[in-house]
Amino acid sequence: MAGLRRRGALLLFGLAALAPLVVRDAYFLDSLILILMWGALSAAWNVASGYAGQVSLGHAAFFGIGAYAAALVSARWGQSPWLGLLLGVALSIAAGAVIGYLSNRLRGPYFALSTIAFSQVLLIVASRWRTLTAGSEGIPVPFRPGFWTLGLSHVAWVYVALALALLYYGVEVYLERSRLGYRLAGVREDEDAAEALGIPTRRLKVLAVTLSAALTAVGGSLWAQYVGFVDPFYVFSIDLSIRFALNTIIGGTGTALGPFLGSILITSLETYLRATFSGVRTGFTGIYLIIYGAVLILVVRFLPEGLVGLARRARATPARAQA
Amino acid sequence: MLRLEGVTKRFGGLTAVRAVSLEVAAGELVGIIGPNGAGKTTLFNVVAGYYRPDEGRVRLDGRDITGLAPHAICRLGLTRTFQLVKPFGNLSVLDNVTIGALTRLRNLRAARADAERVLETCGLAPYATARARALPIGLRKRLEVARALATRPRVLLLDEVMAGLNPAELAAMVELVRRVHAEGVTLLVIEHVMAAMMRLARRIVVLHHGELIADGPPAAVAADRRVVDAYLGEEFSLAEA
Repeated sequence: MAGLRRRGALLLFGLAALAPLVVRDAYFLDSLILILMWGALSAAWNVASGYAGQVSLGHAAFFGIGAYAAALVSARWGQSPWLGLLLGVALSIAAGAVIGYLSNRLRGPYFALSTIAFSQVLLIVASRWRTLTAGSEGIPVPFRPGFWTLGLSHVAWVYVALALALLYYGVEVYLERSRLGYRLAGVREDEDAAEALGIPTRRLKVLAVTLSAALTAVGGSLWAQYVGFVDPFYVFSIDLSIRFALNTIIGGTGTALGPFLGSILITSLETYLRATFSGVRTGFTGIYLIIYGAVLILVVRFLPEGLVGLARRARATPARAQA
Repeated sequence: MLRLEGVTKRFGGLTAVRAVSLEVAAGELVGIIGPNGAGKTTLFNVVAGYYRPDEGRVRLDGRDITGLAPHAICRLGLTRTFQLVKPFGNLSVLDNVTIGALTRLRNLRAARADAERVLETCGLAPYATARARALPIGLRKRLEVARALATRPRVLLLDEVMAGLNPAELAAMVELVRRVHAEGVTLLVIEHVMAAMMRLARRIVVLHHGELIADGPPAAVAADRRVVDAYLGEEFSLAEA
């Protein structure tokens, strides 16, 4: 089963690596970059929510911290966005530790609600603290060619996004095969039982949430540099937090490949629907949201284990027939 | 080996455990009985670190473990099972037990191999790849014990691992508990199945309204007037057991 998934991952990432050599269409490359980035960011969400069971609906907070750190450092202070990325990671580790600590006080839905509140607080701060963030006007990030300044071509961005995706996929695979990952699964399944088996559940929850936050911030920094604009109402939005969760749930929560499969489906569906149904031409502005919602309902109803579960089912059926 | 000194635990106005002192020697198997609400599970929760007692100390090998977190107490060699079993439902039986083994073993492969041995001991090997939540209650109770054993405890607290089992499962569980005891693990066993308890334990303590009202060999306890009044209802004859 795992072998099948690993081969699937190899195939997907391999195709992503080869695509820019063949296709040069900017629209296609843009979609590919976003699929990889949203996939990686959903994988980062999966670390805390899927593997450790600390379901967050406020991961936009960490994304926004990363995005703002990179944008401010590069646009406002004229330094390399890579330094901004490091700053974003440092700030996210601090914020993640606080949120992770909260998970020891609040469980389940209460934890999820507290993460939403946290991201909303950051949204308010970012939109009101005009002297630093320019408020709701947002921050345009100037394009300065070069790797150090992250002014890259579409093709180069594909490989940056792919590197990010591979790295995060690797983190997830590590969690499936390591002592840490097994113990986090114990925490997710039953904290009291995990404690009885010698697992320091509080410490591990903080660790998982912090790691997840740091990975999310890196993605946020890169996204800001790629898109070239940071707007508080987007980067700290609940929509964004839900996107990370949706991709992962649709693909398969707590699986390494799930977030990427979910991202492929949702990101391409969204891009396609938006292009097809938006604008004055059709008068169907916003219909992509309805279709998006319908897909989610169908997946949750018929594929509770996500797209990855589909592969499992396909494999399980012949085995059952033999037995 | 395990020593409770005047342990008291209150919940608001209710005193669930009152000034319980108990000394358990290495290698002993002590049964704990008492009516529902007598404070048996609360006592386990205090000993294993889930509740901090309001008064009194708990010592393991002379070391004060009062107020330590359950995971720290587990690392010192004392763990427990739960009356309402708490399997890691979405994981396989083998993974459940592997997580227990990983407390001592850092290497995943070594932990897996060890978990397989534990499954063998507990008669769970045929179910290794089954999802824990798919097991019937009898096997889930056994998994609860297997997982705890994988941490290689020196003291193990078993909370009603025999409740709700059919006669065949019950016999297998009694056999398993005997084997664990024979391997030198010190056991504290909460049980309502009196017949099994009378056969297993050479020492039984009785809790009633949070107080320890009797402590001795099964025959003596079963004949104790206070125990009969509080719990057994009528004299329990060993011949029936």
